[in-house]
Amino acid sequence: MNIRNVDVLIVGGGPAGLAAAAELHRQGVTDILICEREKQPGGILRQCIHDGFGLTRFGESMSGPEYADRFIREVKEAGIPLITNASVTDITKDRLVTVVTPEGLLKVQARAVVLAMGCRERTRGALAIPGERPAGVYTAGVAQAYMNLYNRMPAKEAVILGSGDIGMIMARRLTLEGVKVKAVYEIMPYAAGLPRNVEQCLNDYGIPLYLSHTVTEIHGDHRLTAVTVSAVDEHLKPIPGTEEKIPCDTLILSVGLLPENELSLGAGVTLDPRTRGAEVSEYYETDVPGIFSAGNVLHVHDLVDFVSMEAEKLARSVTRYLADGLPACGIAVTCDRSVNHTVPMRLSGTEDVMLSLRVSRPGRDVTVRVTQGGREVAAKKMKKALPAEMIQLVLKAEKITGTEDLEVTVS
Amino acid sequence: MTRDFTCIVCPNGCEITVEYEGKNVLSVTGNLCKRGEAYVKQELTDPRRTIASSVAVEGGVLPLASVRLTAPVPKEKIFDVMEEIKKIRLQAPVKAGTVLAADILGLGSDLIVTKTVKAR
Amino acid sequence: MGVLYDAIVIGGGVVGSAIARELTRYRLNCAVLEKNADVCYETSGRNTGVCHGGFAYDIGSLKGRFCVEGNRLMGDLADELGFSFERCGKVLVGFTEWDYNRLLEVIKQGEALGATGLRMIDKEELHRLIPAVEGEFAMLSENSGIIDPFGLTIAYAENAAENGCRYFLDHEVTAIAREGENWKITAGGEEFVTRWVINAAGLSCGKISEMLGIPGYRMIYSKDDYIILDERMGKLVPMPIYTVPSNLYMGIHVTRTTDGNVLLGPSAEDTMNNSWYGVEQKNIDMLYDEAMKIWPHVKRGDYIRTYSGILPKWTDENGRIQDFKIEILDDIAPHAVNLVGIESPGLTASTPIARYVLELMKAREDLQENPDFNPVRQASVRFAKLPEEEQARLIEEDPNWGELVCRCQKVTKAEILRAIHNPLGVNTMVGVKYRTRAMMGRCQGGYCQMRIEQMLEEELGLAPEEVDFNRRNAPALFGKVRDDA
Repeated sequence: MNIRNVDVLIVGGGPAGLAAAAELHRQGVTDILICEREKQPGGILRQCIHDGFGLTRFGESMSGPEYADRFIREVKEAGIPLITNASVTDITKDRLVTVVTPEGLLKVQARAVVLAMGCRERTRGALAIPGERPAGVYTAGVAQAYMNLYNRMPAKEAVILGSGDIGMIMARRLTLEGVKVKAVYEIMPYAAGLPRNVEQCLNDYGIPLYLSHTVTEIHGDHRLTAVTVSAVDEHLKPIPGTEEKIPCDTLILSVGLLPENELSLGAGVTLDPRTRGAEVSEYYETDVPGIFSAGNVLHVHDLVDFVSMEAEKLARSVTRYLADGLPACGIAVTCDRSVNHTVPMRLSGTEDVMLSLRVSRPGRDVTVRVTQGGREVAAKKMKKALPAEMIQLVLKAEKITGTEDLEVTVS
Repeated sequence: MTRDFTCIVCPNGCEITVEYEGKNVLSVTGNLCKRGEAYVKQELTDPRRTIASSVAVEGGVLPLASVRLTAPVPKEKIFDVMEEIKKIRLQAPVKAGTVLAADILGLGSDLIVTKTVKAR
Repeated sequence: MGVLYDAIVIGGGVVGSAIARELTRYRLNCAVLEKNADVCYETSGRNTGVCHGGFAYDIGSLKGRFCVEGNRLMGDLADELGFSFERCGKVLVGFTEWDYNRLLEVIKQGEALGATGLRMIDKEELHRLIPAVEGEFAMLSENSGIIDPFGLTIAYAENAAENGCRYFLDHEVTAIAREGENWKITAGGEEFVTRWVINAAGLSCGKISEMLGIPGYRMIYSKDDYIILDERMGKLVPMPIYTVPSNLYMGIHVTRTTDGNVLLGPSAEDTMNNSWYGVEQKNIDMLYDEAMKIWPHVKRGDYIRTYSGILPKWTDENGRIQDFKIEILDDIAPHAVNLVGIESPGLTASTPIARYVLELMKAREDLQENPDFNPVRQASVRFAKLPEEEQARLIEEDPNWGELVCRCQKVTKAEILRAIHNPLGVNTMVGVKYRTRAMMGRCQGGYCQMRIEQMLEEELGLAPEEVDFNRRNAPALFGKVRDDA
């Protein structure tokens, strides 16, 4: 089998992969190959037809396909090779990449590999929701794909479990197409998605949101006939006696996104147990040299704008890596239980860094503090902090000294 | 009187408190930017929303082209706009940006295609 | 009068399909009546998939005899029929002196049944075989293994169909009557006339037995809930891990599928309901706790699915579970082979059971061999399991081999197409899943199910609302968002 050589192989032609490719090209790296497993580039944005993308990155609001198209056009105009219908099936730690395409089995040796595979949805099976296994239990993204890409109606009367953004957006989308969305149930005492989606997707259409509730049984041996919902206590355990059986033909799940890192694991990349994404340095380099990761495969973002911007930063790091290597990153970023996770997890301390994080629980009038040996490196006061929102703050290089760990807390 | 709003203009989702008498806004607090103030004033008098949906495409590589409004329309007109969207049938190729209905239902907003669909 | 069949098998599960395949070795016009939309929708597809060694049964029982025999045959069957089978061994782990003595008894019992490769191993050897296991010692059964139960059942059925047996899916038997020298069977609103009838109805064996005029079997059912874990955990379960069995119950075990997923189960509860497959929270919790005792690596983050299966058992008046019953009552129901209480180890024992059925028939009638019978099924090719050179060659031959539809299990478009055009005429989404493993992986069809639904529509000319998910009249979808006709 012939082995093709490239400077950078990008796994995934979604928002992260496209933005990384465009920025690499701007930086003068032109020997790139993007492998996209779908028939068209754009990733999940192809089915996100709602408005609201691009405010941060482009200063205007547009739909997912329009947002993707900006990057697709730039990639095409730059002449960056992008193959679709091309599934990467293996990456070695030495960056030899196997790609299955209808034109043949490709072997590509890359100097750098960019992991931009995005994420997948948590399923009914992963939650182990009790009950039968009828037709009509869909994740929100699957329902969205059926409706917006395949022109297929997945529901007539739906209940939604989980108040993730896609779930709420699907509540509105289904309602607009005449589906009766009976309610959204959320196990946590707060909404998982953005407040504006509670407002414009649920409240606008009179769809009730029940917090501290979950689905405790699925009924139906053909198509779904009903779900039983229960209130949960503070330990998220269903409270006996609160069960209510809700007739419906469809259950839509919006219960979380998981970075899709099977290829990363195959390459020997270490994952962070909290993000389930790669453990990366400030240069978005994983612990396998030359393998980089950004976007939803690294940590699940709330906004695609941040995905693009993160991938663009990754691209600048890859450019440096190819030209003269990257500084060592020996300073670990640690966090206590108030913080769900941070990205990156390792710093060099030699230059300013944007730290992304998510809080574990909602809070009001809180301060995010980054310290090193008790000294404050950076702080950000916030009127409110929600787990649904990614918080970013800049760490100045001059505030970081030595190689001691940084600690992040929210209080 | 006061009323609380969750601003939907951007992902910040500011919680804004408005003090008002009738249609007179006395104060707006909690917004991080001016768009928030404009949003709640609009919301008090004439709440408006944009919507997105799809139209059927014949002979295309995809069965649907996504569409959206370029400006918000009164909330109570949303389902009237949906009825208009359902009537539209396009022949591939369809180009993103194409205006399908200028000033739809006289509401001051255009319906545009947001996804290019090539002919099969 | 329409077709006169020589033999009709009621039930297309693993035993019914094994019988169908054995029938096609002879010049017999035969058919299978299956009430579901596919052949492994009940007990045959809802179990642990273990190829048992044959040591856990009463001495002299058919269960023990057919299990030992079926275990010996399984390797050759896998070669002929092309389903996944690994003779990986199995352990029963123990902790106490009582356990140790019990395991010695099990070995004695197994040897009396004719099982081989049974021996005690110490803690060191146990942990060398399975580093991740708990236990002070174990009984090793070298010849035990794991089977892909969907693969085995479908392979029997397809090979039977290739050799001329007709499959009638969605044909639930509603009446059976003796008509002269023949049987008249009403199924799916149609009438079938046959000389021989074979009751391989599994969970419905009692009902069919009564229809044949053989009443009196007391049936109870054992409902088994299971949890499936991510296939990345499979390397920690090189072989099934069982606890020391009591007389009645094999206990919770931790096993692995031939595709690497780990199974925790079964919950094993007696019930009189033979059609409710709901998994219960209390069982999910219990399976976690029990499995952790022998394999302390269960993490809820690795759950990918739960399922439930039901075993049919027949008991005496004291509730004691009985051996397989395979009988012909010439006086009451001539030319009717009645199989009752075929439960575990039915998967392992399927071919010996089928051969026994044929022996009973041959004792009453001369059967002529079918010279055209081909025991070798054209194996279903699994792209993901092929070496790269072979993968490259297939793609060159047909680009559909180079289009991955299911990302988790690496299933290609060529495999999906083959499954859609299966010889049995199964046309459900789950039918594609059982044949290819698409949608069985950790994303549970999040990536591929839309493509598969679309291919079913296109390949079979179905409208969106005509594509059923698992059973007939279980539509996946309700038509189109925008009419594009």
